[in-house]
Amino acid sequence: MEFKDYYAVLGVSESAKPEEIKKAYRRLARKYHPDVSKEEDADAKFRELGEAYEVLKDPEKRAEYDELRKYGAKPDGSFEPPPGWHSGSGFAGGGYTDSDARQFSDFFEEIFGGGRSGGFTAGSGQRGFQRDRSMRGEDVHARLALFLEEAFHGCEKQISFTVHEPDPDGRIVSRQKTLKVKIPPGMREGQHIRLKGQGGPGIGSAEPGDLFIEVELAPHPHFTVEGRDIVIVVPIAPWEAALGATVTVPTVGASAKVKVPKGSGGGRKLRLKGKGLPGKQPGDQIVVLQIAVPEKHSAEAETLYEQLAEAEKDFNPRSKLAV
Amino acid sequence: MSNPDHTLTVVVSDEDGSTFTLREICERGDCHAEFVIKLVDYGIISPRQEVAEARQWQFDVAALSRLRKALRLQRDLKINLPGLAMSLELLDEVEQMRRELARLNQQLRQLR
Repeated sequence: MEFKDYYAVLGVSESAKPEEIKKAYRRLARKYHPDVSKEEDADAKFRELGEAYEVLKDPEKRAEYDELRKYGAKPDGSFEPPPGWHSGSGFAGGGYTDSDARQFSDFFEEIFGGGRSGGFTAGSGQRGFQRDRSMRGEDVHARLALFLEEAFHGCEKQISFTVHEPDPDGRIVSRQKTLKVKIPPGMREGQHIRLKGQGGPGIGSAEPGDLFIEVELAPHPHFTVEGRDIVIVVPIAPWEAALGATVTVPTVGASAKVKVPKGSGGGRKLRLKGKGLPGKQPGDQIVVLQIAVPEKHSAEAETLYEQLAEAEKDFNPRSKLAV
Repeated sequence: MSNPDHTLTVVVSDEDGSTFTLREICERGDCHAEFVIKLVDYGIISPRQEVAEARQWQFDVAALSRLRKALRLQRDLKINLPGLAMSLELLDEVEQMRRELARLNQQLRQLR
């Protein structure tokens, strides 16, 4: 078991006054709240903060923790409580807490939990469980990242998540549940899928909860997505831009031929109807033209450009800039 | 503590189609109807069709997910309703801008 330094978690000193602890917690809670922060490990960090604050805000628990902290971690950083350790602060006895105590670490469990068999603590947001009552299973909310190709064509994805259910003795235990889900073609970023009855099992005769999946799209090297439309930047040669051309452009489905109109400038947008994300109203693919120039021209080409410059000398590409 | 995995293939048929009544959304969010009504009053969540009669409200999954977010923010950061309304709006805006920025950055890279 790893020793948790709650003072370090909150970034306060051992001698910090309760107000300092509260202030540090509030500041960090705002920063790392999983609904606010985009940091990779915000979720874990926030839980750690809640756990640290749970202990340090309570003078009794804090005193117990300080005692243990003196006793200290082993050189390898692992920790075992002293023999016969028993928390007197009574968290295990169904003490009420603002935080969801099921999320706390093994370290916390060991010190203040009074053993895992202690049963269920009334964390807010979790309805208390009573054996002789039936209760609808919990809903599970998950996110699922798809590659654009997967979202476009539809795919089969494996999803794992944790559900809570009573064991034969009526204790709440967690179980890993794995589902293979067939995702239909044309899912968009932020779209929600509901899988009825695939969440946590119901208790007694009650129905199971549902699984809700929010779709995310992973960035693609060539395509970007705007709603249902798929955007791609396509380079063309100056002579293709000037003379017009038919060019082959990739689409997520396959590839398509696009007619570049004569005299197209860089940034011009061409729309391929219905080549965006599929659906009842399929999106379009939008081709953004970009003029590409070879890194080095041949002497012959340079001569031709010089002739071109002479022939087109009245053209001022910067006329809009008034220079 | 955890039983062996089991794999079950599920076909998604219900894209964005689900709606919840006020009662159902309260049950799923584990909160009181008054709270949801207040969130609607503050424009934090809205039923699919704006009707005066709360009993006729139908919420979509996005509203449920927003309700849950509001509940978490309220519980964890002790934010009151006007604060919640503003936080959620700003968070939406930030999210939108992050996406837009990511998209524009990606297009810029493609232009190089």
